[in-house]
Amino acid sequence: MQADMKWLDDPEVFRVGVLPAHSDHLFYKNEQELELGENSLAQSLNGIWKFHYSKCPLERPADFYKAGFDGENFDEIKVPCHIEMAGYDQIHYVNNLYPWEGKMYRRPAYTLSGSHKWEGMFSEASYNPVGSYIREFDLEKELKGKRITIRFEGAEQAIYVWLNGAFVGYAEDSFTPSEFDLTPYVKEKGNILAVEVYKHSTAAFLEDQDFFRFFGIFRNVTLYAKPQIHIEDMWAKPVLLENGNGKLSLDLRLSMVKGFKAKLEVLLQDEEGKVCLNKKLTCQSEGADKETEKEGCEEICLIMEETEIGPVKSWDNHSPCLYRLLIKVYNEKDELIEVVPYRMGFRRLEIKNKVIYLNGKRLIINGVNRHEWSAESGRCIGMEEMKQDMEHILANNINAVRTCHYPDQIPWYYLCDEKGIYLMAETNLESHGSWQNPGGQNPSWNVPGNLPQWREVVLDRARNNFETFKNHTSILFWSLGNESYAGDNLAAMNAFFKEKDKSRLVHYEGVFHNRAYADRISDVESRMYASPEQVEEYLLNNPEKPFILCEYMHDMGNSLGGMASYMDLLDKYEMYQGGFIWDFIDQALFVQDEVTGKRVLRYGGDFDDRPSERSFSGNGILFADRTEKPAMQEVRYYYGLYR
Amino acid sequence: MVCTGKEKLKIVYGDATLGIGGAEEGKEFHYIFSYSAGGMESLYAEGKEWLYSVPKPVFWRAATDNDRGNKFCQKSGMWIAADLFINCVDILVKVDGKEIPLPAMGNNNQYGEEESAQEIEIIYTYETVTNPSARVQISYQVKAGGRIFVKVFYHGTEGLPQLPVFGMRFVMPTCADKFIYEGLSGETYPDRKAGGIEGIYEVEGLPVTPYLRPQDCGMHMDTKWVEVYRSRQLSNRQREEKQTCIRFEMEKLGFSCLPYTACELENADHQEELPPKRRTVICIYGAVRGVGGIDSWGADVEPAYHVDAEKDMEFSFCIMPFVNA
Repeated sequence: MQADMKWLDDPEVFRVGVLPAHSDHLFYKNEQELELGENSLAQSLNGIWKFHYSKCPLERPADFYKAGFDGENFDEIKVPCHIEMAGYDQIHYVNNLYPWEGKMYRRPAYTLSGSHKWEGMFSEASYNPVGSYIREFDLEKELKGKRITIRFEGAEQAIYVWLNGAFVGYAEDSFTPSEFDLTPYVKEKGNILAVEVYKHSTAAFLEDQDFFRFFGIFRNVTLYAKPQIHIEDMWAKPVLLENGNGKLSLDLRLSMVKGFKAKLEVLLQDEEGKVCLNKKLTCQSEGADKETEKEGCEEICLIMEETEIGPVKSWDNHSPCLYRLLIKVYNEKDELIEVVPYRMGFRRLEIKNKVIYLNGKRLIINGVNRHEWSAESGRCIGMEEMKQDMEHILANNINAVRTCHYPDQIPWYYLCDEKGIYLMAETNLESHGSWQNPGGQNPSWNVPGNLPQWREVVLDRARNNFETFKNHTSILFWSLGNESYAGDNLAAMNAFFKEKDKSRLVHYEGVFHNRAYADRISDVESRMYASPEQVEEYLLNNPEKPFILCEYMHDMGNSLGGMASYMDLLDKYEMYQGGFIWDFIDQALFVQDEVTGKRVLRYGGDFDDRPSERSFSGNGILFADRTEKPAMQEVRYYYGLYR
Repeated sequence: MVCTGKEKLKIVYGDATLGIGGAEEGKEFHYIFSYSAGGMESLYAEGKEWLYSVPKPVFWRAATDNDRGNKFCQKSGMWIAADLFINCVDILVKVDGKEIPLPAMGNNNQYGEEESAQEIEIIYTYETVTNPSARVQISYQVKAGGRIFVKVFYHGTEGLPQLPVFGMRFVMPTCADKFIYEGLSGETYPDRKAGGIEGIYEVEGLPVTPYLRPQDCGMHMDTKWVEVYRSRQLSNRQREEKQTCIRFEMEKLGFSCLPYTACELENADHQEELPPKRRTVICIYGAVRGVGGIDSWGADVEPAYHVDAEKDMEFSFCIMPFVNA
């Protein structure tokens, strides 16, 4: 298949050659590597890549992926990194307006007139920057001779991938992993990986988050070698019964060389290492002659039926007790082929009498919305920032985080499992500018709305979010996205999560603006910035659903006054279950002051970026340098009272 | 002349000012109250000047993001002018409780060089430049030993918009080394103080809370006392820098101690645009508007935390020119 530029303009094309989203489990070739945390089956491609910036598709070096291309005039760039932060294009902060506001007139394809496809909107735009990346690599020892995939954990906003001149695939959904199979094209030495990253595509209409608008490869890029038998996907489903006993079932999807037989050992150990479950499973690939299979491998689904475990320790914020699941994969000769670990907890989330209970206790959310942010590097952050964020969260009695408004980096979810932080796992969707702006509200060209052409793309985002993170105990809510209005397509996302996952609740606030969908969207009544009186008004008038403030206490600058009035509602109304403060950290960037030479923090409009919402991204309970704002003592006090 | 605390105040009936001197346990103080400048012009203690300009009422705080968002500034903007410019319309002097005609040039020839009193009270009356205008009285009662009892009274005036704050501002010639106070931890406001822990806190330097866009900051509610420590002086005399302090005692008032006035903070879009730290600006507040937090684009601060300019307000505190060990 050849790459096609028109995909940028077509909302119905959003993944080409991308492997199905799957669970984020780690896999190792043996237990030694697992214990050491060293994975010889993974090869990081982070580092310095060759790079070329073009202002628009027409000016890009279109042949750069071909063998023999002369990349002599290419620059160098660090991966991961936002392209703007490397000194190209334009740093731009704008809130809900689309980033081309006042510069280009655009409407999403198929809106308004119904059939207008707006061909060339992005592929022929006079301004739609392109980053052309080249990375040469040799396979490390353990990867040689194995099936190889490449995983881009985050690339904004549309990427085309080639290896050794062959087109590999195309992906959108900037904040979930995009994985491609390189096996047919990869060599042991001298591979040339070429990646084109576009700043805008139809995905731009769905990624209108209120934040700095960046593009580029901003999260890890890693090669993975799959053992001959490999767990492609797993869903461990721990159940906590009312009597305190636990049950566990497993859905596995394996890929293996044809004709192979796999023996699996499933072990579950408690915190002390005591084995609570030890089961053997087997499966066999059907044989070598099936036509649909590629590369001599086939995929097999394997299920471990629900198994009683006996009494278990439950998982919650106060006591985030995790059990260790270990799946060992052997071949017919009992040789260990792969080891997959996962730490998971037993908890029970349910709505009874319109109140959410966790493990039989009323759930109280002392939450905060968290963007991934660093004043040094934007949304490109590492473990160090995540650990610091978690320390602030724990030190201030915060028990819940909404991953506003996109899935975070994978380690964050593991950290939340471990520390007992309740997650509202939000899907990468915000189309705020298509229905609401500073001038008012008008959903006449809202996407995704009810448009069939915009349905699959948002379902794909829901699927990516679900499939990647489904094993994380910390996730209590799937969130459909943020501020995207409501229509059939949001309802379809809701139905997707409900069908897939009975152990969690679905959250979406936007249905408040279109009550016609109230029955089909969201298990909770969610509002943002409702005053205490407005919350009370809902709760006093035959409320249908438990109430959550997905955003409240807008902590812009010197703020966070009047928190008592919200906390009082927790005592007054069982159905009021708390909220998520807006938000965790000021989004501002360090620059060298052009006058004094000092290192200073700058915000929207300070980069000659227009239009801009200026300092409106500075709403954190942390300053942009990760020191706590004075208001934090108030958060610590009130959240401590209700923890 | 060295006096003891029991001794009377030494009074200088100047032509344009009233001078008051004395000593307490060997430490000397001398104050000058100006008729023309409309307030206390000098607070001199232990060889150091503590006033750069005449203390005046405070009516403005640098707008917070919430103040901007809910258009409080547009509604109450006239108070920024009142904060910057104010008329002193009347001055009244009482000696040992007895009112005397203002002893300025022409009225002071009856006095000599050895005048004294047990207690002096000077009451300044101000009129704001708001429309309608409001009256504020500041009374300084100086007692033997140097304590100054300050009473501030605001006459509520119908038709005036809500105030951001009401207090009194002292600008000191140089930056303080530190301040120590007894009150609540951290930065607190009337609607954000539940998390403040009571205690005695020492704050080095004059930190400005580094909000992305400079705005009102550094408020400390429910304070019992605050001491400001300074070493540096503007005096041309060569001398060893000695740290001394003055102390404000109060009954649970708010204060802030910053290197800037509200207007200096208001004028900066970034921290780096603030001028070099040069002075100490300490404000004692009788009333403070809450910061709010429901949203930053319209929601008002909760009514309980408004400052109503149509109602009378008063507060008082005491200045001690030195702290006895």
